[in-house]
Amino acid sequence: MAHSNTVWGTASAFLDHARKIRWIDLLIVASLAGMFYGLLMLQSEWTSAASPAKEPIDLSPWALPKYTLYSLSRGLIAYLFSLAFTLAYGYWAAKDHMAEHLLVPMLDILQSIPVLGFMPGLVIALVALFPNSHVGLELAAILMIFTGQAWNMTFSFYHSLRSIPKDMNEVGSAYHFSAWERLKWIELPFSAIGLVWNSMMSMAGGWFFLMINEAFTLGDRDFRLPGIGSYMSVAVEQDDKSAMFWALLAMVLMIVFLDQFLWRPLVVWSRKFRIEEGGARDDTSSWVLDLLRRSWLVARVAEWQARRQNTRFARSQNATRPVQPPHGGLRTWLATLALLGLVAVLLYGAWRLALMLLVLPAGQWTELGTAALLTLGRVLLATALGTLWALPAGLAIGLNPRLSRILQPVIQVVASFPAPMLFPIAIAVFNACGLELGWGSIVLMLLGTQWYILFNVVAGTLAIPHDLQEAAQSYRLSGWMRFKTVYLPAVFPYLVTGWVTAAGGAWNASIVSEYVTFQKHTDAAWGLGSTISIACAQNNFPLLAASVLTMSLVVVIFNRLVWRRLYHLAETRYSLSK
Amino acid sequence: MTETQEAPAAGTKPLCEVRGVTHDFVLPNGKPLRVLENINFAIQPNEVVALLGPSGCGKSTLLRILAGLIVPSKGEVYYRGELLRGMSPGVGFVFQSFALYPWLTVRQNVEVVLRAMHMPNDTLRERIQHCIKTVGLAGFEDVFPRELSGGMKQRCGIARALAVDSEVLFLDEPFSAVDALTAESMRAELIDIWAAAGRNPESILMVSHDIKEVVYMADRIVVLGSNPGRIVKVVENKLPRPRDYRAPEFLKLTDQLHDIITGHEIPDAAPGKAPQAAAIEPIPNVRPNMVVGLLEYLDARGGREDIFHIAADTKSEFGAVIETAEAAEMLDFVDTPKRAVVLTEDGKRFVKAHPNARQALWREHILRLKLFKDVHALLEKQPEHTLDADHVRELIVLHMPHEDYSRMFRDFIGWARFGHLFTYNEHKGRLRLPDAHIEED
Repeated sequence: MAHSNTVWGTASAFLDHARKIRWIDLLIVASLAGMFYGLLMLQSEWTSAASPAKEPIDLSPWALPKYTLYSLSRGLIAYLFSLAFTLAYGYWAAKDHMAEHLLVPMLDILQSIPVLGFMPGLVIALVALFPNSHVGLELAAILMIFTGQAWNMTFSFYHSLRSIPKDMNEVGSAYHFSAWERLKWIELPFSAIGLVWNSMMSMAGGWFFLMINEAFTLGDRDFRLPGIGSYMSVAVEQDDKSAMFWALLAMVLMIVFLDQFLWRPLVVWSRKFRIEEGGARDDTSSWVLDLLRRSWLVARVAEWQARRQNTRFARSQNATRPVQPPHGGLRTWLATLALLGLVAVLLYGAWRLALMLLVLPAGQWTELGTAALLTLGRVLLATALGTLWALPAGLAIGLNPRLSRILQPVIQVVASFPAPMLFPIAIAVFNACGLELGWGSIVLMLLGTQWYILFNVVAGTLAIPHDLQEAAQSYRLSGWMRFKTVYLPAVFPYLVTGWVTAAGGAWNASIVSEYVTFQKHTDAAWGLGSTISIACAQNNFPLLAASVLTMSLVVVIFNRLVWRRLYHLAETRYSLSK
Repeated sequence: MTETQEAPAAGTKPLCEVRGVTHDFVLPNGKPLRVLENINFAIQPNEVVALLGPSGCGKSTLLRILAGLIVPSKGEVYYRGELLRGMSPGVGFVFQSFALYPWLTVRQNVEVVLRAMHMPNDTLRERIQHCIKTVGLAGFEDVFPRELSGGMKQRCGIARALAVDSEVLFLDEPFSAVDALTAESMRAELIDIWAAAGRNPESILMVSHDIKEVVYMADRIVVLGSNPGRIVKVVENKLPRPRDYRAPEFLKLTDQLHDIITGHEIPDAAPGKAPQAAAIEPIPNVRPNMVVGLLEYLDARGGREDIFHIAADTKSEFGAVIETAEAAEMLDFVDTPKRAVVLTEDGKRFVKAHPNARQALWREHILRLKLFKDVHALLEKQPEHTLDADHVRELIVLHMPHEDYSRMFRDFIGWARFGHLFTYNEHKGRLRLPDAHIEED
């Protein structure tokens, strides 16, 4: 008995200690205050400048925390826009069957338009709207980040809404849920996990063009906003190696910070929405979330929230609930109106675009076609090269439980690092080796996209059922046969996802890979990406529109013809769910 | 194809053998969990051996150790008298979950293991066809596994195992994922394949928790006990083949196995045994509803029933029924004289009670167990009546280092919730006394 008493003794001692953790509450208060201060700083930055012009960038490392904060807040504000867009657009597409036929293909096209395609229009319009402050330029930068974030989140939400099990929806109908209650109790919880994962991916995608979003030239006009991206651009321009190093470090820290303080807690939290029971595989944890759950402050806020819910619930119980009409007449009418409005806008846009494109000579179009094929070749080569090393490496990592536990979060962080920030280093290496940019651009594309392949292969390998591996072992399949009959087919669906993501990234990257500025010297490799960059730099709007249109056409056609078929093959033939 | 197999001659070398095998799994907390302890046994040529035991006794692990899939923590494995390194040569392994490659057709699933043996093309085709025909899958060669029923999938699994022409066929609960009638015919077919003279497999080693199945198939039945897994008894089965499930000898042997298992798993308390007050009792892996179900079942049948009859009647695995009976016995709801389970007075009272009264009774009975009593007392002492879950886990680990603590904690919480003894918030990892109880104090 004495033995067990000491156990309880130490246990209770620790318990008392644990309840006294108030510093976490202090930290929460401090960080809330910090956020408030940051907002104030942001506000002054937005409204301070007299005109949207080139701002001097301070290359001292001490200026970086402020710049990091600016870039971070742009990313977060863009994310909020993306989330709002996702919820509205995804909901509309999933609920309105007539609009669905237009909205889904449109999303497909939007996804294929490179960020730079949106830039000139956005910048010119917004700067004209706010001529006397940074607001227009800031909004333009935020919207450009938004265009790198929103689409895959929207797709995820739309697909979740469409794949809600029938019985869950029937519950909603049987108990007369209103549309809001349906969203709150069924639709949002069901899509939460996909939405969180895609948000994480989107945020990473949004950083990709940070250097361009914060510092760009349009014709003879030079725009620059304070942030990590512009800091890096200026550092590259002035060939300041230590400043480049500090910028890279700041970027890494920002990504790790977001991962630890935002995404990881959200991922762990969202696990409570998983549908299947059990599932022992997933054991990620978040120390931040654990701390928050211990916080006294958070607990009180949660209690207050619960009480408020209760009183509201009691109130709504007292009121008799009107029975919802099956089809709100007004709502259908409004939806039709919105759809018609959208169609009108699209038709007008198409008309204007056609007018603009008519200016281009026919020879330009064939040139664009050749450029597109050239870039397509580069994209495919980059994807193939990435597969060549990432497939075996991913398998090796996935098959080794200890290695995968350590490396998986690392790969995730590395994958969210914006590769263009590494381009200056890569180009310095090319120059030293005498590698032409035509080939070098493939390596540049690879820098950003290979991680998607690696990441997906690791995930796929971790999902291979143990008995299939045991069967391979007991029948002594040799290394190559094991790869061919077990591992490759088992990870194939994941590999296809990796390819699609990587190729999409490579198309986007072609714009900055085929046209690079290094130490005030610009180098271009002929291709569709460089054509877009050059058109943008020369303010040649017809060419820009034509090249962006070509790219999005090629991407959409390639998706239809190749990736979709591979997806279908993966689903029917190589799916592990029987 | 029904000639009787000769009993193994005394001097023959065993095909497979384990000597002094002990195996530990590592728990998530880094502590070893012993699954097998000091196992010695051999498979002779020309016999069917069955490993019988409740789930969790390590029988599948032992099978994998003999096949070379798992290297034991301690002890040696021999194949034909030679120390085994890596996979056992010539092993055909049939998995409970079939383990067929879903992207390969029936033919390709068989083909791939032959390719791994570098079999030349001309013999390969013939061999595949032969194996597929033997298991009765002719005509299904180009079908993907997902289009097959469970029984057909397992036929493909057996064809794959036969294809490598192994001397020993390892079967890991081959029919537990197959419907009962199909399993019946597959057992007979498998014995016919084995009995065909002069062909591999020479011997079969199978794992099962179905007593009738092992009496039907095996020449030797190795009964394993759990916690940790060890050999309880080896029973020779000399019944002539083909065996008849209703033959008196068959039933007698089944009965004998029942007695061995119950005698080992739920020994009758020795008269005058002092209650072990200080020790913390391990909580069985049983959900409260299963205990209630058992009590209801007994009540509807006059308060007494044979434990194997219950298992057969409810189509449950006998190991699970035994564990449920043990749990009910811990709570004084039943007695288990020999193979019978008898409702006690407390048990009868529980069955008759209303839901709320049942909850109170359950609470009262689990509070007789030391773990619940201690945790409850501690919660009452705490100013806020809350307790970190890790402290309970720690307590379990300290007192029962060889148990899977996270499993036991789950059951502990399940039992406590059922009696509304404490509430448990999974996110916060905190136990709490329900408000009603606090106000009572």
